[in-house]
Amino acid sequence: MQRVRVDAALVGRLAALAAAALFVGLYPLFVSSYKASEFVLVGIYFIAILGLNILSGYNGQISLGHGAFMGIGAYTTAILVSKYHVGELWTIPLAALVAGTIGFLFGFPALRLSGVYLALATFGLAVAFVQLTQSFHFASFTGGGTGLSIGLPKTPYYLTWGIAGGMFCVAWLLLRGRIGRAFTAVRDAPLAAVSSGVSLAAYKTLAFGISAAYAGVAGSLFAMRYGFINPLEFSVALSILLLTGAALGGLGSLEGMIFGALFIQYAPGYGEKISKTAPSVMYGVILLAVLFVVPGGAAQLLKRLRRLLKQAAKPLYSRLGTPAVETAATSTRSEK
Amino acid sequence: MKKAMLTLCAAAAAMTVGLTGALGGSQATPGVSAKIIKIGGTFPLTGAASSYAPIPRGMAAYFSYLNAQKGHKRGINGRQVQFIYYDDAYNPAQTVQQTQRLVEQDRVFALVGGLGTEPQLAVRDYLNQKQVPQIYVSTGATTFGSDQARHPWTVGWQPDYQAEGALYGKTIAHDNPNAKIAIIVQNDDYGNDYIAGFKAGLGHKQDQIVSTRGFQVTDPSVASQLTDLKRSGADTLMIFATPAKTIQTYATLARIGWKPDIYVNSVSATDAFMTTAVKLAGADTVNGSISVEYLKDPANPKWASDAGMQLYRKIMAQFLPDANANDGLYLYGMAKAYSFAQAVVKTGSNLTRANFMNAVLNMTDKTNPFALPGVVIKTGKKDAFPISQMKMIKFNNGTWTETGSLVNGRGK
Amino acid sequence: MAEFFQQLVAGLATGGIYATLALALVLIHRATGVINFAQGEMGMFSTYIAWSLIYTYGLTYWLAFAITVLISFGGGAGVYGTVIRPLQRSGELIVVVSTIALFVILNGAAGWIWSPEERAFKSPFPNRVFTIGGVTISWQDVGTIIVSLACVLLVFLFFRLTRTGLMMRAAALRPTTSRLLGIRVTIMLGLGWGLAAGLSAVAGMMAAPVLVLTPNFMLTVLVYAFAAAVLGGIDSPLGAVAGAYVLGVGISMLSTYVDYIATAPELQLPVALAVLLVILLFRPAGLFGRTVVRRV
Repeated sequence: MQRVRVDAALVGRLAALAAAALFVGLYPLFVSSYKASEFVLVGIYFIAILGLNILSGYNGQISLGHGAFMGIGAYTTAILVSKYHVGELWTIPLAALVAGTIGFLFGFPALRLSGVYLALATFGLAVAFVQLTQSFHFASFTGGGTGLSIGLPKTPYYLTWGIAGGMFCVAWLLLRGRIGRAFTAVRDAPLAAVSSGVSLAAYKTLAFGISAAYAGVAGSLFAMRYGFINPLEFSVALSILLLTGAALGGLGSLEGMIFGALFIQYAPGYGEKISKTAPSVMYGVILLAVLFVVPGGAAQLLKRLRRLLKQAAKPLYSRLGTPAVETAATSTRSEK
Repeated sequence: MKKAMLTLCAAAAAMTVGLTGALGGSQATPGVSAKIIKIGGTFPLTGAASSYAPIPRGMAAYFSYLNAQKGHKRGINGRQVQFIYYDDAYNPAQTVQQTQRLVEQDRVFALVGGLGTEPQLAVRDYLNQKQVPQIYVSTGATTFGSDQARHPWTVGWQPDYQAEGALYGKTIAHDNPNAKIAIIVQNDDYGNDYIAGFKAGLGHKQDQIVSTRGFQVTDPSVASQLTDLKRSGADTLMIFATPAKTIQTYATLARIGWKPDIYVNSVSATDAFMTTAVKLAGADTVNGSISVEYLKDPANPKWASDAGMQLYRKIMAQFLPDANANDGLYLYGMAKAYSFAQAVVKTGSNLTRANFMNAVLNMTDKTNPFALPGVVIKTGKKDAFPISQMKMIKFNNGTWTETGSLVNGRGK
Repeated sequence: MAEFFQQLVAGLATGGIYATLALALVLIHRATGVINFAQGEMGMFSTYIAWSLIYTYGLTYWLAFAITVLISFGGGAGVYGTVIRPLQRSGELIVVVSTIALFVILNGAAGWIWSPEERAFKSPFPNRVFTIGGVTISWQDVGTIIVSLACVLLVFLFFRLTRTGLMMRAAALRPTTSRLLGIRVTIMLGLGWGLAAGLSAVAGMMAAPVLVLTPNFMLTVLVYAFAAAVLGGIDSPLGAVAGAYVLGVGISMLSTYVDYIATAPELQLPVALAVLLVILLFRPAGLFGRTVVRRV
């Protein structure tokens, strides 16, 4: 294992990522500021569903309440900025901390629940969040139904995408290491995991915490983007939207999430373009169509693409006579 | 050296920007050309509040009607009106997104009729900072008129909720000083506005309120609240709720066998809603309800031969043939579109945003064919409440009848 | 005491609205192992069909009722055959997302076809009340409660006494074994979806006269029905119905006797859900569900 091997899959993946980063970096130079502001939301969704994916895709716990964690992050930022005059940038880690802590604590009752019961608990969180932030009882703090203003809408483009890139790398490093293996072990074989010394409670709550922290960062950026925070923005609809994005991206795949984020940001608009009278019907039909064509989400599509590329490249490899590349690629795949 | 070059470049860039701005000058009012005036708005076309979707459609129909006129009457002052409206699903974040789209991408001249208290609050600072008119918002939240000093580019349109609530308060204090009052109220800013106004109107009679119960828009049922209110021994019930919840309140009243005197807010008091309520709750529960109106109600037969109503029907038949013309929201949209056209006419030949706002805040228009006869749409430098006159009405046997003359809700 | 019973009646009437939909959710969960987010919208769409049959085509109420239940049954089975079954291989989450897509489509289509305005869908029961010991009770509420109880009884008897019911239970619980025994599992699960759709149609038609028919009127009912089904035990039809009544009465009492909540209706649902969460912590499979013991 001392020998440095060229891992074709890894190289391909890095090349694709570099291309994506280049595209994201240059995009605002070629489009209107409005289009760029739309693309900020893609980045925000991307961060949120990366987090959701850590929980649902890698740890096998469903959440219908990630909109609420995003809301917690957004409110953390909005309250700190508007009431305590904390600098916006400083609120990002704090939003992650607050949302992450609440998520971690929420992981404890979630320990006893699974499947549909956990779905209800998280769903309840999403419903309760809206009503609690709307409540007049806490209005001096949260702004109640009127919401909180922290200034004008902005386009924190490079900030959002910079953070998104960073958090993508963090997720990647986290999941390919010991923690990632423990997460998937807890998901796939809880009994075996326990018998080999993996604490279910620790890793399940940890997954909840990390996942919520991601959503918190997304929410913080969301607050900066719009400059105005209202409970209605974090309704159950947002949670469901995030789940849709994660599913379409392909659970258990990190790079697939970018496509999930693109879909939930742009597909409703396309629905509106097709039919002005019934835009949501069109959106629903598009969603179903995608599920039918690629039920495994973008991740499946990427896998297919990779296989095609590899087949196309095969003759090249054999001519160069580097079989090591092949074996390395297969071994990484079977590991997952 | 490098630094100097940079400064030079920056200066050059600044000059270019300044120059284009200066050259643009009077010509470059966004959304206005010799032939066209482009305006926009955001409305809930999907989601839980989509029953308000007829409002922009009614506005669009009226603009189509103006655009189809012949000769010098074509459009407004010869300009064709382009009205672009986007769906915000009553989600303030989407309102921000779509409003930016209208301002920065479509480059509209003004935002007209945008719907909803929270959504419009979300873009108020933005539009005022950009100095884009945000006029005739489709909400009666008092803040859109009362906060004029800090938000000079924002103006409401309909009578505000507090004024309406106050009118009910004064009426009860005067007509029925011994009433025992119960209130069922939507638990949000909308309901709070009504309650604040109502209490102010009652004045020292406030202790006549024996019980107040709120509900969430998301509560499926209001049975428990009404049961509680009934038990309080009240004989008068105030309903401060949006249409679906109001109809539901009537239906539930019939089910718990309670027949108090009812006051119902104007948002929910169109003939169309009341007819639905009668079908579900029975006439004897609904009859006798009291409300206010400021627009003509297309479902009310008494306007059948009225010229304004005939114009409305004509426009509906021509541009929205499949829509239910008895839905008062279409007429609400048209009345608003008419107000907008009047303001543009008043602005005159030099149509800039600033001139336009001056006109909007200096209107005295008695000609709106869709408003009740006598209603004056009036604004001034310190009065950003275009409509403040209302008429008390009473519901009986399927229709509303006027019980008094026009009153000014803001006491001016 | 009259006050207590009056609130009890109000709670039962509300619970009756949740009960039938909760039952439908349970049937789907048993057949497919997922929560059908479109369940409420299916009921909403069915109610519009009934509305058209009655007010456009002039049918009598009960005839329209029967036709609507049949159409919904076919629609539910059709949805299973065309959407759910093909996607089932791709995993539970994909099926859940497909029900979200169905939700969006049905909700949008109803607004498109029938317009989003409020419609009067009348109750078949007389609009009168009677009084027993100071407690006012409406015939419409009594009717709703009887219909919801009749539904659960019919479903119960169907599963217990008929051969088809037995095969359906088998197909849902042990699909592979059932297939080996010659049960046509696909058809059985399709029947389950049809039955659930029929039940949601009943739920919609019972709820519409008081909640007012709009494309969104079942939106929040679904939240409560979901909570009720989980409270009762997601795999127990009887539990779901009991859960619905417990929830209806519980919230009614909560908002009457707990002053803090009476003045802050926005706390009603969060408190109810928190209570529910606590109950679930002690009984992770709901009040009536059976826990599969698997200690780890």
